[in-house]
Amino acid sequence: MSTLDIKITIKLIGPFVNQLGFSEKTMSFPDGVTVETVLSSLPLDPKRPKIVTRNGQAVASGERLSHGDRLAISPLYSGG
Amino acid sequence: MHGWTGNILRINLTNRTHKVDHFDEEFARKWVGGRGFALKILWDELKPGIDPLGPENKLIVTVGPIAGIPAPNTGKTVVAAKSPLTGGYGDGNLGTRVTEQMRKAGYDIIIIEGKADSPVYLYIEDDRVEYLAADEIWGKGTYDTHDWLYKKYGKGAGVLSIGQGGENLNLYSMVRSLEGRAGGRPGIGAVMGSKKLKAIVIKGSKPIPVADPEGMRKLGLEDLRKVGEIDKKTGWSIQGTTGVLAWCNEVAALPVHNMRKTHHPEAWKIDGERLNNARVATYGCPNCTMRCGITILDHEGHESELDYENIGMLGSNLDIFELDQVASLNYLCDDYGLDTISAGAVLAFYADAIEQGAIKGDFKFGDAEMAKKLLGLAARREGEVGNLLADGSLRMARKIGHNSEAYAMQVKGLEISAYNCKFIPGMALAFGTSPIGAHHKESWVITFELKQTRRDSYGPEKAAKVIELQRIRGGLFEFIVACRFPWIELGWQLEHYAEYFNKITGLNWTLDDFWKVADRIYALMKFFWVREFPFWDRTRDYPPMVWFDPKNADTEGPIAGKYLELDKYNQLLDYYYEQRGWDKRGIPTRKTAEALDLKQEADEVEKFTKLE
Repeated sequence: MSTLDIKITIKLIGPFVNQLGFSEKTMSFPDGVTVETVLSSLPLDPKRPKIVTRNGQAVASGERLSHGDRLAISPLYSGG
Repeated sequence: MHGWTGNILRINLTNRTHKVDHFDEEFARKWVGGRGFALKILWDELKPGIDPLGPENKLIVTVGPIAGIPAPNTGKTVVAAKSPLTGGYGDGNLGTRVTEQMRKAGYDIIIIEGKADSPVYLYIEDDRVEYLAADEIWGKGTYDTHDWLYKKYGKGAGVLSIGQGGENLNLYSMVRSLEGRAGGRPGIGAVMGSKKLKAIVIKGSKPIPVADPEGMRKLGLEDLRKVGEIDKKTGWSIQGTTGVLAWCNEVAALPVHNMRKTHHPEAWKIDGERLNNARVATYGCPNCTMRCGITILDHEGHESELDYENIGMLGSNLDIFELDQVASLNYLCDDYGLDTISAGAVLAFYADAIEQGAIKGDFKFGDAEMAKKLLGLAARREGEVGNLLADGSLRMARKIGHNSEAYAMQVKGLEISAYNCKFIPGMALAFGTSPIGAHHKESWVITFELKQTRRDSYGPEKAAKVIELQRIRGGLFEFIVACRFPWIELGWQLEHYAEYFNKITGLNWTLDDFWKVADRIYALMKFFWVREFPFWDRTRDYPPMVWFDPKNADTEGPIAGKYLELDKYNQLLDYYYEQRGWDKRGIPTRKTAEALDLKQEADEVEKFTKLE
């Protein structure tokens, strides 16, 4: 890990937990990493609609993340 | 006429008589089925102001043209009546074998009138209707009741029953079917109980009238298979609806502590992952290939089937984070025949009122054992506390006083489902404008709101989305009568439902035809309320005042310091009313009503209030 790396906590929701084999994990990424880069580093179906939140707020794919951010990745639930 | 039998079985419990009435194609095209049929009949046949628990109220059991046909998730039936909980129009749908059996028996609608002089259940087999003594099952829970009836009539029969909640007129009691689930949140079980009707058993042997039976059979079975494949591919059923819990906790939308909080560090203990790990069985309704019910063993060892609403309202909203205890509360609600959403909201409100010093009592948040006792008291209306809890949170608040109505989490008397809208204006609007009182089934806009709009916006796009979803969820799926899950959770396109409808009815409808029916139904539902409450104003479409209270804002987390703003919510309501063609009070204008072929209904409602 480079000293320039930042730590991001990835929280997976619903079936993504089973698909990726973990529920929550803190991972290192280069400083300035975007949401899109983090997502593309994970073996998730890129075509599947998702909602991604950063610290509880929806986030755009091009947004840069900061050290200590929590990124929750969920399928698009529609509320039962 | 294909797709409908045109038969209405009208049963009078007072006289123990029945007859078959008929509706014509014009009625069928105008109201389609399910909610549409129930609403129009209740509008036409009930006098305003009647006691919902008196013999004048009518219990409607009805299906739609798609219901019961083998095709994706068509096992649903609608139950409806004037609601004893809200005083307005009330209905709900539930998965049940009744759907198919009722259609095979030759009926689209069953109307149950009057009141039996002693507890009865109905046995309906094709043209035969029997009124049978319910002495052996009156007083029993829904599990024992169903078992008793299945032993007598076989597992193939369709059964609807009430538990002790309905018998004792608990105002949030439901109608239950062990072949599916429960329906009728606004106290439809209490209406059934008020008629001394414990259960309805239905068997049928006739063909369901379908315009293109072979084409529909092939298409329906193929699509059932495809929906099952999509479900497997996406893994949706692994957690079913309960995946929502972890998400709501992340985005500060989880009901915690009577919705005073929006997230909790222990929420993971009751989330979909834990539920899936504890699973002992999977449960689904008839004609379903994406079975969403996850059954686990409760604290006492019963099998209890949970979904998100149950866990949110009986778990986090009560600060109970032990999954087996949540399952116990859910099992009791199912057995007593109580709505889990309202039950959770009522207990949370009770604990909150005690905490605020508005009332004295022994119940505290997090006390699962006391919650179990209180559910029993509420179901049986035992003692002062049982009677208080059995009336729902709005009536409780009016008895308790001390401004507790502000934090009774309900709209129009129906308790809010498990989405905490402290800072989600569009979803608050969805609850506010839901036509039976607060219910998530009509419109669920949170993901749209968070993903595609600014959370703090109160713009017209949110009102438009609420209406769009109401047309689909509260309209289409409630009047063709099918489960919305293949569409909302798996992306199964709405055009499929037009194709099914056309193959079944022989008509050539497009989705736009459905939307007009949906708007007609929404307008008439509002007229129903206005006729019952002639001094109608927009405040009845407000969510609870506590969501507008800065002092109630979260002190930490994603929405710290945020709250709904009343003037902006009013602007959002204006957008909603304008887009629907309703006036500033939230009442459809005459022009809107007439454009929806509701001139006669507009004339009727004008006896009570002037339309714009």
